[in-house]
Amino acid sequence: MKSVHCIDLCKTYRQGEVEVTGLDHVNLEIEEGGFVCLSAPSGGGKTTLLNAIGGLDTPDSGEIWLAGNRVDNLSKGDLAKMRLHQIGFVFQAYNLIPVLTARENVEFVMEVQGVPAADRRTRALEILDEVGLAGLEDRRPAQMSGGQQQRVAVARAIASRPALVLADEPTANLDSQSADQLMELFVELNRNHGTTFVIATHDQRVMGYARRVIRMLDGQIVGDEQKEAA
Amino acid sequence: MKNITFRLAWRNLWRRKRRTWLTVGAMVFSNILLVFMISLQIGMYGMMINNTLRAQTGHLQVQAPGYNDDHKMRQVVPDVQGLANTLREGLATDEVAARASAFALVSSADRSYGLQITGVEPEFEARVSSLPGLIKDGRFFSNAAAEEIIIGRVLARNLQVEVGDELTFIGSGRDGSFAAAVVTVVGIFESGMPDLDRSFAEVPLGFFQDVFAMDGAGHAVAVMAPGLIQVGQIRTQTEALLPEGSDLVVHDWDALLPGLKQAIQADFTSAWFMYGILIVLVAFSVLNTQLMSVLERTKEFGIVMSLGVTPGRLGRLVLLETALMGTVGLVLGVLLGGALVMWLGYHGFSYPGMEEMAGKFNLPSRIYPQVSFIGLLFGPMIILISSVIASFYPAIRLRWLEPVAAMRAA
Amino acid sequence: MGSLRIIFRLAWRNLWRNHRRTLIMLAAIVIGVWAMIFMTALMRGMVDDMVRDGVSVLPGHVQIHHPDFRDDPTISNLIEPPDGELLEVLNRPEVVAWATRVRVPAVISSERDTRGVTLVGIEPDRERGISFVADDLAEGRFLESRDDRGLIVGRKLVEKLETGLGKRVVIMSQDPENEIADRGFRIVGIFDSKLAQYEEGYVFGGEGAIQDLLGVGDAISEVAILGTDYRDVEGLHQMVADAAGPDVEVLPWNELDTYLGSMLAVMDGFVVVWIVVVFLALSFGLINTLVMAVFERVREIGLMLALGMTPRNILSQILVESILLLVIGLAIGNLAAWAAIEPLKDGIDVSIVGEGMEYFGAASVLYPALYLKDVVLANVIVIVLGFFASLSPAWRASRYDPVRAITKV
Repeated sequence: MKSVHCIDLCKTYRQGEVEVTGLDHVNLEIEEGGFVCLSAPSGGGKTTLLNAIGGLDTPDSGEIWLAGNRVDNLSKGDLAKMRLHQIGFVFQAYNLIPVLTARENVEFVMEVQGVPAADRRTRALEILDEVGLAGLEDRRPAQMSGGQQQRVAVARAIASRPALVLADEPTANLDSQSADQLMELFVELNRNHGTTFVIATHDQRVMGYARRVIRMLDGQIVGDEQKEAA
Repeated sequence: MKNITFRLAWRNLWRRKRRTWLTVGAMVFSNILLVFMISLQIGMYGMMINNTLRAQTGHLQVQAPGYNDDHKMRQVVPDVQGLANTLREGLATDEVAARASAFALVSSADRSYGLQITGVEPEFEARVSSLPGLIKDGRFFSNAAAEEIIIGRVLARNLQVEVGDELTFIGSGRDGSFAAAVVTVVGIFESGMPDLDRSFAEVPLGFFQDVFAMDGAGHAVAVMAPGLIQVGQIRTQTEALLPEGSDLVVHDWDALLPGLKQAIQADFTSAWFMYGILIVLVAFSVLNTQLMSVLERTKEFGIVMSLGVTPGRLGRLVLLETALMGTVGLVLGVLLGGALVMWLGYHGFSYPGMEEMAGKFNLPSRIYPQVSFIGLLFGPMIILISSVIASFYPAIRLRWLEPVAAMRAA
Repeated sequence: MGSLRIIFRLAWRNLWRNHRRTLIMLAAIVIGVWAMIFMTALMRGMVDDMVRDGVSVLPGHVQIHHPDFRDDPTISNLIEPPDGELLEVLNRPEVVAWATRVRVPAVISSERDTRGVTLVGIEPDRERGISFVADDLAEGRFLESRDDRGLIVGRKLVEKLETGLGKRVVIMSQDPENEIADRGFRIVGIFDSKLAQYEEGYVFGGEGAIQDLLGVGDAISEVAILGTDYRDVEGLHQMVADAAGPDVEVLPWNELDTYLGSMLAVMDGFVVVWIVVVFLALSFGLINTLVMAVFERVREIGLMLALGMTPRNILSQILVESILLLVIGLAIGNLAAWAAIEPLKDGIDVSIVGEGMEYFGAASVLYPALYLKDVVLANVIVIVLGFFASLSPAWRASRYDPVRAITKV
């Protein structure tokens, strides 16, 4: 089954006075368990594509299918539900709620998802442990390094064990050591749980971790390399 | 608190401590004012009503139809003492007193005055009226047929009489006949109300009925209810106890003293107009604060929405934050306002000009407000509710928030 | 001069950088100012009418009577009519009008009923200038001379007595020997009064006729004197008291009725308290708005300081911003209040609580009264207190360390 299936996506948007082409007849298929990088220079359309796949933005035309279900025509409410239970997001920065601790950030999403209070705490701790943050759960974001913050973001993203995780330039604000650690975490999660990862980036080193790199330029896919895992 | 949303709302408030404290400050200021003013009003109104009713009319009166408007001698309540007894039994209380009134010219050795004479039941009048208790010289009546009179201090001075002196009075009886008698002053009262002290006198009812040829009738039976709230209920019961086929009517104090209730209503309304302005200003303050607070978090809200949190949920978060803020304002306002009321309840409250007002409205010249449930909570609750309503606007605006646009915000 | 203009332009633009916040604060100020002025005008109007009506029923602005008359307003406490020096003073221009009266308690009987009243014997032509009676005459005619044997009675009393215009009634009162003096009078006029107690309690006849009835020669109860302004009677009072001599008591109206007398002063106090309370409620929002505005511009302020602007410049900038906001709010608020009051000039009908208003001694129609001094007070308090409230955030802004401010995240 295809985890992600995009058919002929088009999207334009306005930036001030100019009309920009975000997506220009994009067709894409990603299998379950895939580990894919979307690569493009700034403004190339990778964020737009990621947002479309994740249901944050609807394309002007075309279809998007996730795990066999059509999602481009869903209502806002249904899209939100989808994002809540079935997709995990990791952004470049400002991922976390600053007034909540690491554990609370994870628990918050669980509370919205409807996880009963009794289970939340233990599961949050489990997940934080899995991303390597055991012992740091009561720290607030301001008391953690960039790399640690991103790991909390990952923990939060996988809280409901979604099938798909979308990351938009997750390593852009990190030093190289933290960036490596983060990517290794992604790889481990992908291997252990079969979670599909789609990562938008223009960082070469990040692309090195991917098994498939899709290049985009001006809203079109211009390259699609499969390679063996490093 | 297990609930993360709750913790989040609370902590969000304190991200900008000074802003939150200033907003809470506006609430506390208004709350203290409201607690103080409302408690004062409750005290004043209660006293105005009670003092006036106790001195003049009682809570209810049974009268002949038309008597309240015309006050004619011939508009009588037949067998007035019998009716009073019936009511005492039927209502199981002795706060019931029969009365009869007439206009008469009262003369001492040197002076004459026209005034209203009221015949009262010596054993029961004190249960309904405060007047017997306000006798400063002498005593109240000994029995129902005694040829005695009690008058006010100002009248006593104007007539130049003291306890023990004699007065004559003349008037018209029920049948139009000439009514006259000589009475001894046995008591002088000081009610603090110049009108009463100058032109009001009481004689025993039996004696009155003799002199004015009442033939056992009177003009009113006054009834006191346990409290203002029970007046309606006692009125229904009283109406049921009236003799079959009689056309007697039962008036409650609002009909007997129409000015009093309306005066309170007028004062109440104007006060609430002013409270309303305060409440609106606080609401604007809250609106501004919450709007700014929401706008600042646009990016954060965008990210949270991308996780699947709905705008509705975010809106509820904002409302919760406002409610928490309002609760802090309420608690502090109630505590400080309540402390103020208690302190004043001990020391008394007065402002320049109050003494002159006091006599006119049967109020003491210093008021001692009491702490009460309504006085403490009513105002602050309204501020809390209106604050939450004010934050509807920022909360509802979130509906139109698009995650992508929000995340791009500065 | 140029820098002032720049400061103003900066302040203006800064205000509108966050137009929602500014608009909301502005709206709050407008409402506050409106409430200050509107409410004050309503209450002033009510109290002014109360006092004016009350004074018009009292015997003039200043009254001369027997020292014991207030306690015992009867026939035993009469005085001589004015002559000599007093008469000369009464004819001075400061005295707008004066009249003598005889005032005694009496009993009025019709065929159907008997009531206690206050009988007032007046000099009709002099009295016209002083009391309400001539103005409020509803039916019949006024008295024609001192010796007129007619009676002017209030409508409510006429109804209670079940009598009417042209009918005969008997007046009984006490003469100096404590004998009953009584005589028949005809009702020649009926009056209405805003205050029911006067309609029911006062009966007017010719002074001469009453003096005749009572057998008191030309003795009178009181001299009622009207000055130019009831709000300023001290001078008049002093002048009359000096001329009247030690045998009589001379009192201004505010001592005769202390309730009314204190009303004006209480009202002044109330106005100040109300304005200050409204401003305090606004001040929290005002300070908050400034604090938020300053906080948003921390970097910019730091930059300006680093570029050479003095702290005082920053301080004045913030203050000007705040004052500009207040001034705009005041302008609109004043306008709104005026716009609300103008159409209500014909009075607000509150007769639904009419009897309650009477309890307070007020009429059942409220006329708002806009006083310049109240408007000025409101505006001055808002500007001055607003200025002081803005000092704190402005001061803190001017004290920013430029380096820390610029690097603030």
